[in-house]
Amino acid sequence: MVLEIIVMIKQVPDSQEVVIDPVTFTLNRGAARNVINPADENAIEAALRIKDKTGAHITVITMGPPFAESALIDCMSRGVDDAVLVTDRAFAGADTYPTGLTLASTIKKLGKYDIIFAGEESTDSSTGHVGPGVAEFLGTDQASYTSESWYEDGFVYAKRELEEGTEIVKMKPPTLITVLTNANDPRRATLRKKIDAMKKGIKTMTLADLGMPPEWVGLRGSPTVVKSMRTIDEKKREGKKFKIEEIPKLVDELIEKKIISI
Amino acid sequence: MSEFDVIIVGAGPAGASAAIKLAGAGSSVLLVERGDPPGSKNVSGGVLWGDSLGSVAPDWEKAAPMERYVEAKGVSFLTKDSKISIDFRSKKLQERRSGYTVLRTKLDGWLSKKAKDAGAMVASGITVDKLAFKDDRVIGVEQDGDIITSDIVILAEGANPRVAINSGIRERLKDRDVAIGVKEIIKLPEKTINERFNLTSSKMGFASEYVLGFLEGGVKAGGFIYTNKESISLGLVISMKEMRQNNNTRSFDLIEQFKEHPYIAPLIDGGRVDEYSAHMVQEGGLKSVPQLYGNGFMVVGDGAGFSFSNGMVLQGMNYAIASGIAAAESAIKAKIKSNFTMEGLSSYEERLKSSFVLQDLMNFKGIEEVTWSDMIHRGIPNMSEELFLSLFSENGQPKAHMINLLIRAMGHSDVPRKDMVINMYRMLRRM
Ligand SMILES: Cc1cc2nc3c(=O)[nH]c(=O)nc-3n(C[C@H](O)[C@H](O)[C@@H](O)COP(=O)(O)OP(=O)(O)OC[C@H]3O[C@@H](n4cnc5c(N)ncnc54)[C@H](O)[C@@H]3O)c2cc1C
Ligand SMILES: Cc1cc2nc3c(=O)[nH]c(=O)nc-3n(C[C@H](O)[C@H](O)[C@H](O)COP(=O)(O)OP(=O)(O)OC[C@H]3O[C@@H](n4cnc5c(N)ncnc54)[C@H](O)[C@@H]3O)c2cc1C
Repeated sequence: MVLEIIVMIKQVPDSQEVVIDPVTFTLNRGAARNVINPADENAIEAALRIKDKTGAHITVITMGPPFAESALIDCMSRGVDDAVLVTDRAFAGADTYPTGLTLASTIKKLGKYDIIFAGEESTDSSTGHVGPGVAEFLGTDQASYTSESWYEDGFVYAKRELEEGTEIVKMKPPTLITVLTNANDPRRATLRKKIDAMKKGIKTMTLADLGMPPEWVGLRGSPTVVKSMRTIDEKKREGKKFKIEEIPKLVDELIEKKIISI
Repeated sequence: MSEFDVIIVGAGPAGASAAIKLAGAGSSVLLVERGDPPGSKNVSGGVLWGDSLGSVAPDWEKAAPMERYVEAKGVSFLTKDSKISIDFRSKKLQERRSGYTVLRTKLDGWLSKKAKDAGAMVASGITVDKLAFKDDRVIGVEQDGDIITSDIVILAEGANPRVAINSGIRERLKDRDVAIGVKEIIKLPEKTINERFNLTSSKMGFASEYVLGFLEGGVKAGGFIYTNKESISLGLVISMKEMRQNNNTRSFDLIEQFKEHPYIAPLIDGGRVDEYSAHMVQEGGLKSVPQLYGNGFMVVGDGAGFSFSNGMVLQGMNYAIASGIAAAESAIKAKIKSNFTMEGLSSYEERLKSSFVLQDLMNFKGIEEVTWSDMIHRGIPNMSEELFLSLFSENGQPKAHMINLLIRAMGHSDVPRKDMVINMYRMLRRM
C-alpha cells in the first residue's frame, strides 16, 4: 500500500516590490515575480525525503490563479508525482477560513491521504492559519513548526522546534505537518523530471468539481472584513559615501554619532 | 530514436530565435534556460541594431517589446574636465534603420513565449552540465546525471561558454578574449529623459558611447548610455587584460567614476538604480571564434564569439539572432537529409559567411588593438581638449594657425607624436 502525501503550496510575490493599493486596500501583486512560498519549498523537500525512503506518492495542490501552474510544474520537476490547481473566480478574495475549507474539500475529493504538508506561514500574508485550519476541517492530528519528519512502521514522527527545546511527536496517519522556513535544503529541479512534468501536465479542479456551495468560498465565505489599512512610509536616510581608503573616517563618524562604540 | 529533433542550450536572443524558427518549421524542440523566467539572468538593456528580428517575427516592430528608436547617436571622449562629442541626429536614421533600445528581461521573455507558442518545450530554471557523446558524435545533453537525447544540439549559452568548455569542444577563454561589462538600469520619468537628452517624443531614443580617458590609474574602459522609455541603461566595458594590469581596479568603482563625471552626473541626477549586473563580453573578434559546428552540434551567438565592440558601438544581439536563424535553417536542411554529421551541418558556416555575421567580424579584424590603444583613450581626447580650448577661449593673445594649434595639441596628448600619426593611419585602415 503506497503512502499518500499531499503538499499544499502557495505562490507568493517575490521581493519588496509588492505595494498596497491605497484605495482597495488589497495587495497589488502585478509588478513582482511570483515564486513558491519559501516555507512551502521546505515542505516539498520534507515530503520528498519521505518519498526517497518509502516510495510514497506525492500530490501537490494549490488554490490560486491559472498562472500558478508554473509553480506546480516546478514542484513536479523536483520529484512530486502529481499536481492539482484549484482555481475558480469564486475563490477570489478568500481569507484563511474558506482557503482552509476549500483545500480540505480538495484533499477529500482526491481520496486517500496519509500525510499532509504545509509551510509554517506565507510570506505575503503570514497568518499561519491555513495548515492548522485544514487539519481541523479534516479532523486529523497535526504537528506545527517542524524541522524534520519521517515515517516508520506505520507512524509519522515530527520534530517540533519550541522555545524551550525540541519535541518529537509520534502520530498515526492521517496527519498534517507544517514545516519551518529553512528547515532543510530544498533540492533543485532536474531537466529529466521537468520534461516529464511538462509532458504530464497538471490537473485542474473548479468549484463545481468540489461540489461546495458558492457562499462557502471566496470573499462570500470570508468572515474577515478589512476595515482599513495603513502603509508605513520608509524613512528617508541621509546616506553618505565613503571610499575604501576612507574606512577609518567612516568608523570615526559612526562612533561620533553613537551608532557604534568601541 | 532521439527524444527531440533539436535541443537548444540557452534562451538568449540566439537560442530563442533558433527555437522559434525550428518549432515554427515543425521540429520538436527543447529550449533549456538557466534563468527562471528566461531573461532574468541577462544583463538587461542595450541597442538591438538592424532588423534581424524580422526573420523571427515579421511583425516584430509592433509586437516585440522595443523601448525607443535610436534617432540620436553620440560618441564622446571624456577627459577629467571636458567632454568632446559628436551628437548625430537625423530623420534619415529612420529610413536607413539604426536600432531600438531594449530591456533584456522583457525581450527575452517575449522571445521565449514566442518559442513556446510555436510549439517548443521551454524548460527554464535548469542549467545544462555538458554535451552527451556517443563515439565522436553529440547525441544530446547531460544534466544532473541524466542524458536527454536529440539529433542536434545548438549551444547558445552566451559569452561564458562553460558547456562547450566542459564538453571539450573548445578551449578555456583567454584573458585577451574577454571583457567585463557592468551595467545599471537607472529609473527616471519619461518626461525627464526626453528633456535631458533633447528627445522630441518618448519614441525617440538616444544612444551614446563614451571613451573614458579620465579614469583613476589610467584604466581604459568604454562607457555607454542608452535611453529606454522610463529608464536609462548606463554601463561600461573593460577588458580583462586591463583589469589584471590594474589590479586595484574594481568595476563598480569605475562605474561610479563614470557616473560622477561633471557632464554625466546631471543626466542621471535623481535617478534610482533599479538593477545592477556584470557580465562577460567577448572581445576577441574573429580570432576567438571556436569550432562552429561538428557531428551533431552547432554553436551560435556570443558562445561562438559573434560579437564585437569597436569603441563606438557594442553589438552582439543582432549577430546572436542572425546566427540562431542560420543554425535553425541548417538544422532543418539536415533533418530533410537525415544527416546530422559535421558534413550535414556544414551549410551553417556557409550561411554565416554569406551573411553580415562573419563578414563584419572579418572586416573588423584586429579592431580591438585600436579600441584599447593609448591613442583612443588618451591621445585623441587630450589632444582634442587642448585644441578646442585654444580655439574656443579668448585670452587677448593673437590666434595661432590651425595646424600649429594641432601640433601643439598633440604635444598634450600623452602619446608620442609619431605614434599618434601611425595609429591614426592604422585606425582608419581598420575601420
Ligand atoms: C492585505 C490583506 C489582508 C488580509 N487580512 C486578512 C485577515 O485579517 N484575516 C484573514 O483571515 N485573512 C486575511 N487575508 C487573506 C489571507 O491572509 C490569505 O489570502 C489567506 O487565505 C492565506 O493565508 P496566508 O497567506 O496567511 O497563509 P498561511 O496560513 O500563512 O500559509 C500557511 C501555509 O498554508 C498553505 N497555503 C496557504 N494558502 C494556500 C493556498 N492558496 N493554496 C494552497 N496552500 C496554501 C501553504 O502551505 C502555506 O505555507 C488578507 C489578505 C490581504 C491581501
Ligand atoms: C554590458 C553589456 C552591454 C551590451 N550592449 C549591447 C548592445 O547595446 N547591443 C548589442 O547588440 N549587444 C550588446 N551586448 C552584447 C549582447 O548582450 C550579447 O551579444 C548577446 O546577449 C548574445 O546573445 P546570446 O543569445 O548569444 O547570449 P546571451 O544573451 O548571453 O544568452 C545566453 C543564455 O544562455 C543561458 N545559459 C548559459 N549557460 C547555460 C546552461 N549551461 N544551461 C542553460 N542555460 C544556460 C543564460 O542564462 C542566457 O540566458 C552587451 C553586452 C554587455 C555585457
